[in-house]
Amino acid sequence: MIKVNTEESPWRPGMTVRALLDEKLFTFRHIIVRINGEFVSEEDFEKQTIQDGDDVLVLHLMAGG
Amino acid sequence: MKRYLRNHDAISEAEQEVLAAKRVLVVGCGGLGGMVIECLARIGVGHLRVVDGDVFEESNLNRQLLSSSMNLGRPKPLAAQQRAMAVNPLVEVEAFQILFASENAAELLADCDVAVDCLDNIPSRLVLQEAAKEAGLPLVHAAVAGWRGRICVIHPGEDLLGLLYPNLEETQGEEQQMGTLSFTVALTASWQAAETVKLLLGKPGLQGEILDLDLLNGSANRLRLN
Repeated sequence: MIKVNTEESPWRPGMTVRALLDEKLFTFRHIIVRINGEFVSEEDFEKQTIQDGDDVLVLHLMAGG
Repeated sequence: MKRYLRNHDAISEAEQEVLAAKRVLVVGCGGLGGMVIECLARIGVGHLRVVDGDVFEESNLNRQLLSSSMNLGRPKPLAAQQRAMAVNPLVEVEAFQILFASENAAELLADCDVAVDCLDNIPSRLVLQEAAKEAGLPLVHAAVAGWRGRICVIHPGEDLLGLLYPNLEETQGEEQQMGTLSFTVALTASWQAAETVKLLLGKPGLQGEILDLDLLNGSANRLRLN
């Protein structure tokens, strides 16, 4: 299992950031991802894999006032 | 005082006096800022310094409390000052019709107890965080996009905006595509005002985390950032 924001979520070997975002329907254009506190650049979403037990923070980029 | 009767006892008489002696800088008098100023004036924060370089336009009318069909073209901080003083003449309101920038940041932050980030772009928000850090002031940040809002409290020395905005080339977020909805702005700004009042009164609030609001799916989550 992994943690995605506040929720427990199933993990599978080889799961990439992109696969997780697609699975969770994070479809906004601007997404910020941190795994165990470490920032993951958008260009690495396809190749960065998630490990069992990881704490994944997924945030939408927003700046409106 | 009857004006504050319905603040009590959620706010004690002693706390009311504390609020009357405090000064808050609100940067941005648009959607978030308009509602934050309204809340702080009504609850009785004694001194408000409000800053914005813009005037009201028609596209503000869907969400900005201080805008109306009657005041299009009017400078936002002047409308904020007029409104706050009409709501509560006991509040001193200083209005600055200027764009917030590193050149004027220190002067605007001087003598304040808390700064409130109601800006609408990433570069200016980062400038404000840096200036608040330099001034040793806590900063209450909020941002909105569509149905989503976010609030965090940045204590001096923290760099939470660096975590939220890691790509310095970005100037805007999802609000460009999703717009900004009236109830998202009102809820987010109200929570931002509540965090501001908690700071002024020394009550525990958000620390090292963000409050993530999703009005479409009906959730409010506290997410730890560091």
